[in-house]
Amino acid sequence: MLETRNLSKSFGPIQVTRDVSLKLEKGERRVILGPNGAGKTTLFNQLVGELRPDRGSIHLDGADVTGLRVADRARRGLSRSYQKNTLFDGLTIGENLGLAAAVALGKGQGLWSDPLQSAEVRETVREVAAQVDLAPYLGARVDAVSYGIRRQLEVGIALATRPKVILMDEPTSGVGPEMSKGFHRLLKGLPRDLTILIIEHDMDLAFDVADTITVLNYGEVVFDGLPEAARGSQLLKDIYLGAWEDA
Amino acid sequence: MTTDLGFWVLQTLNALQLSMLLFLLSVGLTVIFGLMHFVNLAHGSLYAFGAYVAATLAETLGYWGGFVLAPLAVAALGAVLYFTLIRSQRRAGPMAQVLVTFGLIFVAVDATRLIWGDLPIGIAVPALLDGQIALLGVEYPVYRLFIIALGLAVLAVLTLILTRTQIGAMIRAGVDNDQMAACLGINVERMFFLVFVVGCALAGLAGAVAAPVLSVTPDMGLQILIPTLIVIVIGGLGSLKGAVAGALIFGFVQTFGAVLLPTLSSVLIYALLAAVLVTRPEGLLPAKG
Amino acid sequence: MFTHTPLRLTTLALLAAGSLSYAYIAGFFGLEILAEIAILAILVIALDLVAGFGGMVSLCHGALLGVGAYAFTVAATEAGLPALPAMLLSVALSSVLAFAIGAVCARSTGIYFIMATLAFGQMAYSFVFQSPLFGGDDGLSGAPRPDLTAIGIDFTDSRAFAVYTILLVALSYLIASATLRSGLGRSLVGIHHNEKRLRALGLTVWRAKATAFAISGALAGLAGCLAAQHTQYVSPGLLSWTVSGEALVVVILGGLGTLVGPLLGAILFVVLKHEISAITPYWHAIVGLILIAVVMSRAKGVFGFIEARWEARSPKPVVKEAKADA
Repeated sequence: MLETRNLSKSFGPIQVTRDVSLKLEKGERRVILGPNGAGKTTLFNQLVGELRPDRGSIHLDGADVTGLRVADRARRGLSRSYQKNTLFDGLTIGENLGLAAAVALGKGQGLWSDPLQSAEVRETVREVAAQVDLAPYLGARVDAVSYGIRRQLEVGIALATRPKVILMDEPTSGVGPEMSKGFHRLLKGLPRDLTILIIEHDMDLAFDVADTITVLNYGEVVFDGLPEAARGSQLLKDIYLGAWEDA
Repeated sequence: MTTDLGFWVLQTLNALQLSMLLFLLSVGLTVIFGLMHFVNLAHGSLYAFGAYVAATLAETLGYWGGFVLAPLAVAALGAVLYFTLIRSQRRAGPMAQVLVTFGLIFVAVDATRLIWGDLPIGIAVPALLDGQIALLGVEYPVYRLFIIALGLAVLAVLTLILTRTQIGAMIRAGVDNDQMAACLGINVERMFFLVFVVGCALAGLAGAVAAPVLSVTPDMGLQILIPTLIVIVIGGLGSLKGAVAGALIFGFVQTFGAVLLPTLSSVLIYALLAAVLVTRPEGLLPAKG
Repeated sequence: MFTHTPLRLTTLALLAAGSLSYAYIAGFFGLEILAEIAILAILVIALDLVAGFGGMVSLCHGALLGVGAYAFTVAATEAGLPALPAMLLSVALSSVLAFAIGAVCARSTGIYFIMATLAFGQMAYSFVFQSPLFGGDDGLSGAPRPDLTAIGIDFTDSRAFAVYTILLVALSYLIASATLRSGLGRSLVGIHHNEKRLRALGLTVWRAKATAFAISGALAGLAGCLAAQHTQYVSPGLLSWTVSGEALVVVILGGLGTLVGPLLGAILFVVLKHEISAITPYWHAIVGLILIAVVMSRAKGVFGFIEARWEARSPKPVVKEAKADA
């Protein structure tokens, strides 16, 4: 469903992505682990087209999308959430989800009707709100709800486009352990045919949702396999413990 | 005509003279923007104020009296503006800044009309710089060569300050990165004030040297504003090199456009600006990589 | 997102009733002022659409108005078209031009967008100023008013003309508010709040910006046609960036991003202008000081102030927010 081949990117002398080759099957839930600065977010930016790779290619659902722009990739079913909330701040939560659904349904340039009132958009908003537990807050303005709710909306917006593949960049960053656990429960409730790639910091939670695990270090894939194999891996411990001790 | 060397020399000098005048105006505006993210549409009004002060003082103190005192007077006005308006609007976003300084233009134009009247004021070229000089086969006014030399001198001094002195390093750090400057323990407020006032003084200097060449009128600040903005947008907001490049591009395109393509000349510079904005939205030599 | 609150609807109804009844009782001078207000109102509706809702602060709307005025005058006099087709043609021209400007400037934001629109506006200004075809500095005269004498309406009569401009303000308002409630309008507000995210959701942002600019440009062009018909004379000054700046001032005074507020702003601005200029020739300075005061006070214009007071008075139905955090 989503594949990269030898993806590489440098900023000046620093290589942030080295020959990254990944292959996600349809419905696969993969977690990317790695210390700070391992190039996880940079990889996401290249996947969605916000950053051009120097070399290598990206394939979505069998088609090469390396040369496509952000919006074109999104229309082919690729969606992402951001590590730092990237919401429509002055609007209500319902409007946030509605806008995302309207754009994804191709109603973002229409002149003759209000997409927020359309049955399709309202249905999508209702479903996504249920998926990420936002139903009680649809009428509330984004700046009036708690950080945890905004974090859920961040993922909700990405889901409202009805993507084939969703990339989540540390969806639980900054929220407490309770909410974080709740969020992973929500994650498990998502449709099984949705392909999910998540950047996650917390290893235990990662093992909880992942079908497969990829570990990045210094922009390079150092582990790629099943969670069981990763769990006992000395390599992973070294990288993580090393990184934690440095930090 | 165009095969004559004299023609090219003459037009090149004219272009340089215009470029240097625009450089004096745009350098202050662009560094203020780079450092403080402040857009001062009233910068042209400061230039007009400089020209009026120079013209007035020339009557009693002679040209050189105005030349020296006009920049100081404009700097003083700049200091007043800084504490009353500029400082509080620094974080207000581009629209608020555009509006406040636009309002300031209204006030400035009417204030000059109130003080100096609606009629243009003339001012004579100083005796020292009067007359023409033969240069590569053309007779060229000495005063215009003086404008070119002055522009180059200011450029040299500013380059030295920015590259060789501590305050210059601080300014460059501030343009590069707001937080970094603060982290380095720089007194950001004082630096902003200093840069703003020096920028105003340069605008006043430009007004003083332009006064004998152009007629001094209430709307001269408005007239020069658009060219100045074009210069800094083409060059890249916040960059000294950009101001130089933008001023030269504007000066040459405008001057040669007017003689070689008279029907297109006025549209040419705007078309160039549009081309720059489309291909390089941050200008040719932006301050930040 | 744009909504018609009861306060806004009430204000609109009052404005409509007030302007039409004033048109009924006013003398010649009052009717001239009414037409002037109406023309400015259309321009500021156009500007608020892109600046207030889309965050695209334009300094080329004066030029778009001027293009409409000149195109109408040339089409109706030199090309000899009847007034209505000439109006359609010039509105279309302003709109196409606005689409091109919007498309080119779409990548720029903030101060760069302001500068870019300024550049395009001045480009049109100097083109008209220099071109002998358009009478240069002298301008052109002889723009006709639409001829509806066949159905018994005479637009050379100030009263009929004033009512006609008011009806076109209403039409412009309807177009702008319908645009804001369309998919494009929703996207426009989204772009204002978070352009990057909307792009990541799959919106072709430049096209949305350019289309919104085109609609706004059409309205500015309509205002231009009316300006040409009103004074039956056009000059390059119409295209100057200071006209755009003044329009922005009116939008700010009235209430940016409220669509209703700029209408109040237009009334206030024109009335103030006539009142102050009757006392002193330096009315620009007074307007400048008021502008500085309004912006520095961070009030959202006259209508923003009224809305804030209104909301403070009538407690809003609180959103049912379950305390899920607890």
